[in-house]
Amino acid sequence: MRNPRFLKVAWRIILGLRNDIRTLALMFLAPIFAMFVFGLAFSGEVEDVKVMVVNQDQGITVPVGGGQVSISQMVIDNLDPEVVVVEYAESEKEGVAAVENGNVYAALVFPPDLTANALEKIGGDTSAGDATIKLRLDKSNVNVANAITKAVSDALLKTVEQVGEEPAVSISTGEAIYGENARFIDFFVPGVLAFVVFVLTTLLTLISFVSERTSGTLDRLLATPLGPGDIVMGYATAFSLVGLIQSALLLIVGVAAFHIIIEGNVLLAFLAVAMLAVVSQALGILLSSLAKQEAQAIQFFPFIILPAFLLAGIFWPLEAIPTWLRPLSYLVPPTYTADACRSVMLKGWGLGKIWVDLLALMGFAAAFLALAMLSLKVRKD
Amino acid sequence: MRNGEKEDRFSVETRNLVKRFGKFTAVDDLDLKVKRGEIYGLLGPNGAGKTTTIKILCGLLKVSSGDCYVLGEKIPSRRAAFRIGYIPQETALYPGLSVHQNIQFFGGVFGLSRKKIGERESELLRFINLEEWDRELVENLSGGMKHRVSLACSMIHQPQLLFLDEPTVGVDPELRASFWEYFDQLKQSGVTILITTHYMDEASHCDRIGFMRRGRLIAEGRPEKILEIAGTSNLEDAFMVFSRRGGEP
Repeated sequence: MRNPRFLKVAWRIILGLRNDIRTLALMFLAPIFAMFVFGLAFSGEVEDVKVMVVNQDQGITVPVGGGQVSISQMVIDNLDPEVVVVEYAESEKEGVAAVENGNVYAALVFPPDLTANALEKIGGDTSAGDATIKLRLDKSNVNVANAITKAVSDALLKTVEQVGEEPAVSISTGEAIYGENARFIDFFVPGVLAFVVFVLTTLLTLISFVSERTSGTLDRLLATPLGPGDIVMGYATAFSLVGLIQSALLLIVGVAAFHIIIEGNVLLAFLAVAMLAVVSQALGILLSSLAKQEAQAIQFFPFIILPAFLLAGIFWPLEAIPTWLRPLSYLVPPTYTADACRSVMLKGWGLGKIWVDLLALMGFAAAFLALAMLSLKVRKD
Repeated sequence: MRNGEKEDRFSVETRNLVKRFGKFTAVDDLDLKVKRGEIYGLLGPNGAGKTTTIKILCGLLKVSSGDCYVLGEKIPSRRAAFRIGYIPQETALYPGLSVHQNIQFFGGVFGLSRKKIGERESELLRFINLEEWDRELVENLSGGMKHRVSLACSMIHQPQLLFLDEPTVGVDPELRASFWEYFDQLKQSGVTILITTHYMDEASHCDRIGFMRRGRLIAEGRPEKILEIAGTSNLEDAFMVFSRRGGEP
């Protein structure tokens, strides 16, 4: 039995890629490059933030034994050294000036008699003096400001526990249900899979298909026994294969270089990626019918890249997208692949739980394939 | 049976063929008959409707009204697609593939076996005189070589009918001459050729020519007969004569 004709089209595309080292490098090295750039530079964790500490607290001398107790010093010692780099100033004015000059992100001011007042308050003395620690923040960088606030709050909580005061209400996070020890890169890699496969497949199909139209090969193909279905399915087959190889390479490098977490069956992640590749190539074919030249195809790039970048939950969770904008996220196909890959890789979910994502991808694939075939048939009218 | 009869005599037949794009009529009530085994030249200025006619006959465009038959099949027809060859105005090859890969691909599209493609490839490379170049990428070939490869790709499945849309545009005179030698050889082997051109001097190579203007056939016949009726010494002048008359002789 002879191979179906769409396989000839698929093989032709693969041969073309094999002959073209530059495109091949773009397809397979660009995703890995992107993963390294984002994985190394954009860890999502704020570290080494300079904070100016103004410690006016004299502490107290313990009556028995003569030891010195300083709550301010305990708080300073409890600050997470990975997040906060402590520098010292003599006065609040000097500390605030350092923030104003941009030398540090915050001034942490411990008032005089902090320890004495705090201990009196713990002892139940309602007339005790002020025991408020002042945190003067540069909030122009929200991430950094939040990281400092959290570090100071954590240090304070720990200090209160150390002085023997148990809070009435406490929280226990215990062992995580999913993603114990997960880092930003673990969240990011599944998103990158979806992002690069969607963007590169759509753009490459768009450009190759515009070229099929302008160079006359599409006319030549449609004058042969090949139908629009053979051509679209040929492209779908070739680009799914390319998407699978891209994903496999990304995952291998992700595991080797970043030790990313893969809890579930990685084949399910591959399935979601392959389905996205089918959707993306059909979208590329569809868009190509709107461009008369390759230069015009470039005008579509922002409309392909930006929604995927901003709305698909690649770099931040969907919950970080404004509620009114969120419905649009569900119209961007990589949203489902990113979600499916994360569920499989980080949570170890199986088909029984990610079927909604796969169903959505199937819906997109069916609709876009039908529209792509229609766009080739419409030429006949 | 009726179709079979048509095919006996005519490889191409259109009746009252009309193609409109919106309000613009590209092909207007065209009755065209191309006899089996002849080279028929469709001549006319740009915008005369030549390419549109060829695209309809290849099944690339739907007709607005009228009928057309190719090799006895009512168009569009998948059966006919197996027996026709088509070269669009562009060379229509994959520049990133080698000569060999292009020929193999088009052979595969027509469902030929690997063995058959191999045999045909050798014959065709000899025919277009590019045997030494089969492993070269098409993008590295000269314009003339690309045209020759394009012809080979359209011939891989031994079509009975070839549609050639302006195959000699942008081709130097020497290569044009060799192209016509190829076409003559194909005709000798029984292939029918419908060729469009706006080079009037090429018409002398055709068995019959048809002048097209504004979607209509304004004159048709053997080149020498057309000259005789128009009373001119060259076909360009003859075209002007028929254009002024606006009808057939």
